[in-house]
Amino acid sequence: MIDALRETQVWLLAAVLLLGAAAKAVDRTAQGPAVLLPVRLRQPFTRLHAALEAVLAAGLMVLSGAAGEVVRAATAALFAVALVALLRLRRRDPELGCGCFGGLSTEPVGWRSLTRCALFLGAAAATVGLPGSGWAALADATPRHGALLAVEAAVVAALSPEIREAWRRLRSPVPCALREVSRGRMLRRLRASGEWRERRHLLVSTEPADTWRHACWWLARFPGRDGERSVDVVFAVEVSGRRPEVRALVADAAVGAVDAGGTG
Amino acid sequence: MAAEPAANGHDRRRLTAALLGPDAAPEPDRTPAHVVRGTLTDISPHMLGLAAPEGDRRFIVTPQTTFWHGGERTARELRPGQDVLLRCVPGAELVVERVWADLARVTGVITAVDGDTLRVAAGHDRAPVTAVVPYRASGRIRVRHPRLEEGYLFDAVGVRDGDAVRALVPATTQPPYPVVETPPRPPTVRQAARVTGTASWYDPVLGRDTAADARGTLMGLAYPALDRTGDCGPACDRATPCAPLPLLSLGATVRLTNECTRTAAVLPVVACGAAASHFCDRCAACGSQASGRIAELTLAAFVALGGQPEAGCCTATLTAGEP
Repeated sequence: MIDALRETQVWLLAAVLLLGAAAKAVDRTAQGPAVLLPVRLRQPFTRLHAALEAVLAAGLMVLSGAAGEVVRAATAALFAVALVALLRLRRRDPELGCGCFGGLSTEPVGWRSLTRCALFLGAAAATVGLPGSGWAALADATPRHGALLAVEAAVVAALSPEIREAWRRLRSPVPCALREVSRGRMLRRLRASGEWRERRHLLVSTEPADTWRHACWWLARFPGRDGERSVDVVFAVEVSGRRPEVRALVADAAVGAVDAGGTG
Repeated sequence: MAAEPAANGHDRRRLTAALLGPDAAPEPDRTPAHVVRGTLTDISPHMLGLAAPEGDRRFIVTPQTTFWHGGERTARELRPGQDVLLRCVPGAELVVERVWADLARVTGVITAVDGDTLRVAAGHDRAPVTAVVPYRASGRIRVRHPRLEEGYLFDAVGVRDGDAVRALVPATTQPPYPVVETPPRPPTVRQAARVTGTASWYDPVLGRDTAADARGTLMGLAYPALDRTGDCGPACDRATPCAPLPLLSLGATVRLTNECTRTAAVLPVVACGAAASHFCDRCAACGSQASGRIAELTLAAFVALGGQPEAGCCTATLTAGEP
């Protein structure tokens, strides 16, 4: 029973570290204990922190023997340092989130994040001395492992305000008018549309001469030629939705719109 | 950087209106006849002459006309050669209501301090400004800007003095932390076709050559939520504004209503409001609770909308992006 409990800690810690690394990689703004550092060190620290978490997660799962012991001890040390940093952060800036899962950790450091960190510290300490790697334990997993993991995951979930924050963001995403989008992504959306295929033959170049943003719409102007006339082929692509609405018009380069159309 | 897209602004507006409908990109308003700017050529208790881009013009000064040059002044205290902005009586455009002389503003992040002289970064698309805080104004400035140190925000109205600005009146209360330590703002989930907040102003010509440069009375605004991937460019140093502003590009038009005077105008986006994006302040005018700068109007647009430039801000509602 005790051995099974110790083995499940390895999987839990690996999953938590991997999620933490991914969240920090997605949102690289300095969060949590990083703000205790001088400004110029915050971003490099956040990147380093994410990389260290990813390496430890991988190490916990694949390494055994002496190398595995080093990784497990390092994981325990990481959570010990994190606990101290959170206590200091709470004293210095009580309004700041812990940054444990990047921008999702918006709730100020409180008893929940401190208890969770202490729990992970205890879990990491319990793994020191295990003979095999996480994968090896996973290969020999029993229903008892599954039950223990489920109970512990439920406890961790109850201590994690990030789940509520992630759910809130999924239900209410950033409005389309405020959402930053890349030019490459919008060009791909445009080129997958029927409007593009329909007017492709008019284009002199497939690279836009001008692109601009208008709230929920991204617009692109392409130089084109319709017989002897120089024309502008202009597309408006909706920023949101899996199948965005695309509108198009062919405008005389000097005078104005002559033909407009759209798709749903 | 802004010159080429600004030249395309008219095309962008026209094409946006053709694709998304005329309400999405309405025709911008022209400078109203009662807002005039130029170089003062002569002044007497009854007449005022100025050289403006449209030619020499004369205006009637009445006992009700007020004058500002770092504070309330009389007609006698103004000098020929000064850059003056006039607000005339609407409907009687030869009668002057108020005159601002050598009006200037410094908004941005302090980058260097040397005694009473500050160097202020005004955004990636504008030249840095030198501000001097004279001893007689330092108390007033210090009350609302306690930390005149590198990295902190600064916003003050004053008068132009050569290439520098004498900062005389604080235009906001400085946040207690440097810009780089601004707490992360929670993501916005509200939809945002109409946004109420603070509108400030800037001078697109920095008080230079207003006798010949028509941009002195340009009607437009610098927008704090300019699209980063396009016009804002790789050097873009704008922050995410705390008001939920829709992303727009140069050439877009927005309707702006001054909530104090209920005056509205359709204005084009003519520049990036990178400096304004750092401010999450509230304008005390009209008792508004809305915070965050929604636009940095050109000086002429601010006065045309009934704003008092020496106050630094007005509460306004911006409507944009409605197809």
